[in-house]
Amino acid sequence: MRDVSLRIPPGVTGLLGPNGSGKSTLIKALLGLLHTQAGNGRVLDYKWPRETKAIRDSIGYLPEDDCYIAGLEGIESVSLMAQLSGLPAREGLRRSHEMMDFCGFGEERYREVESYSTGMRQKLKFAQALVHDPPLLILDEPTTGLDPDQRVAMLRRIRNLATRHGKSIILSTHILPDVRSVCDHVVILVQGTVRVIDTLDNLSRPIEPTMHVSVIGDHSAFARRVTSEGHRVEWQPKSGTLRISGIEPEQTSMLWHWAADSDTAIGRMEPAVNSLEQIFIDVASGSMTAGLSASAGLSTDAAVQTAGARRAGP
Amino acid sequence: MPVHDLGYRKWSGERADQLLRPLVIARGGVALILKRRWLRILLVLAWLPVMFPALGIFAFEFSSTEPDMQRMIVNVVRRPLARPDLAALILDDMDAARHEVWSTMILAYFRYPQLFTMVGLIGLIAPLLVSYDLRTKAYLMYFSRPLSPTQYIVGKSAVIWFFLAAVTTVPALLLYVLGVLLSPDLSVISQTWDIPLRILAASVVLVLPTTTLAVVYSSLTAESRYATFAWFATWAMGFVAYQFLTFTTAAMSGRRPPRRRRGPINWEEYGVDLDRWRFLSPYHTLGKVESWVFGLDTTSASVLPAIGVLVGITVIGFWIVHRRIVARLSV
Repeated sequence: MRDVSLRIPPGVTGLLGPNGSGKSTLIKALLGLLHTQAGNGRVLDYKWPRETKAIRDSIGYLPEDDCYIAGLEGIESVSLMAQLSGLPAREGLRRSHEMMDFCGFGEERYREVESYSTGMRQKLKFAQALVHDPPLLILDEPTTGLDPDQRVAMLRRIRNLATRHGKSIILSTHILPDVRSVCDHVVILVQGTVRVIDTLDNLSRPIEPTMHVSVIGDHSAFARRVTSEGHRVEWQPKSGTLRISGIEPEQTSMLWHWAADSDTAIGRMEPAVNSLEQIFIDVASGSMTAGLSASAGLSTDAAVQTAGARRAGP
Repeated sequence: MPVHDLGYRKWSGERADQLLRPLVIARGGVALILKRRWLRILLVLAWLPVMFPALGIFAFEFSSTEPDMQRMIVNVVRRPLARPDLAALILDDMDAARHEVWSTMILAYFRYPQLFTMVGLIGLIAPLLVSYDLRTKAYLMYFSRPLSPTQYIVGKSAVIWFFLAAVTTVPALLLYVLGVLLSPDLSVISQTWDIPLRILAASVVLVLPTTTLAVVYSSLTAESRYATFAWFATWAMGFVAYQFLTFTTAAMSGRRPPRRRRGPINWEEYGVDLDRWRFLSPYHTLGKVESWVFGLDTTSASVLPAIGVLVGITVIGFWIVHRRIVARLSV
């Protein structure tokens, strides 16, 4: 990684990037598992990279790899992690049960971890990451191996932790719909550099406000009416909608008036949003290189500047 | 709040000091190992050899009143333990012989049954520690917590220390307590107060290098069977190499000790240098240092090279394990 400078605000932040872009390196560097050659910053209230142990004490990390402690039961693994984070044994066990309840574990918590499915191990790692109640969670591909129901439940838990319990979450994933459904902010890394940091709202918003309108019956009268008001109208045969430029979502009442004037019935109306997939592809391919700065929130969870990360050693 | 709230709840308790966290690893490791039934059986069996030195101390303490006991302890000290000088001292002055008899018994316990037990026990336990963590990538779970590689290594090693202490240090200390309880009065403590300290020192000598060596093998491979093989091979091949290289000198020169003899063999008379190849064999190197710790080293060479070998194994071994773990984290 080189010339990385980023400020991650509270909320859920999606960490995106193609394979080998440096997502895991960045996470490991934040955790102090990798030595950085240069750079400094703050993670939560701690100096990075000097206070990495304190940082790790305040972070819940869900690794991407399938990792577990062989021979232990599910509840024992979570309890061990609780104690490694400094919880007393009894309190750690109580808290482990709570977290396993929260993550949807039943009696299977008393089974050895080796017998767990990939999805169950993923939930187990999530419970382990949460057991010491960290203010910041770093989740590396948390929905990998989960069936659709479990995936939705996991995303709901992540959102719930951020909104109701004030957790800051960094979500590293390749699954863009997951980012779309839970993230407030997005960081896109390409070849070890930060290419995009912005709120998902800003990224989703087209350069010019645009509405997609589908009408019942003939659309030509309505299109003429809108054009006469000075807006650009484009018929999109693939989706069967009119793309109307220059209309903010708050100005939709005008569209209803013009539809009434042209005796047209509107079936559906929604603001146009940029496709995250397209943004990702553009950024990864280098056709979009704007380093957009985060505009939401000045309170900082993690602010890091690093000139390079290499070689391990916590 | 509902009685059974399945939602997320905050936690704000007092956390334990970070320095104590290796203890958690050790406790978890011990609990994990003790789940295995064969190991629990092995631990019980490992205590059986303590009967022999216990019987020896018992016989010695009763030798003043029981002539049969005296005959038995004198024979044991003279023949199997090869100490005719000590046997004579027992007959002359029991009180003067006490310290040396107890030390000899405890050293024999350390040197013969427990060294083999240690090799077997570590060979079965150690590969389960780091190798398994490498195979299942459990080190990522450990290092997501505020642990340093050193703390991790100490925690894992402490699992072995615990079991070794359970089968060597604790029984040896109990032997000492038995000796005190069987002796005529508590004044023997003033004669033998240093023996518990020597037991602790001998335990450190036994435990540190062997544990480090075992953890090194365990950290070099994710396949625990390879680590087990390397461990046993080191001891067996070292033993054979030492015996072969040391005693071929006597065999080649044609000067051999007589088949029927009384007392220990003075190998130096037959041109055998018992210390020259000692560093090849962990068994003999440990034996030299342990004998020195108990003040019973009978060979002429300095103990320093043997101590150097053990310190070298410990320091270099720790460095290798540290590097292996750090390298794993960078992947």
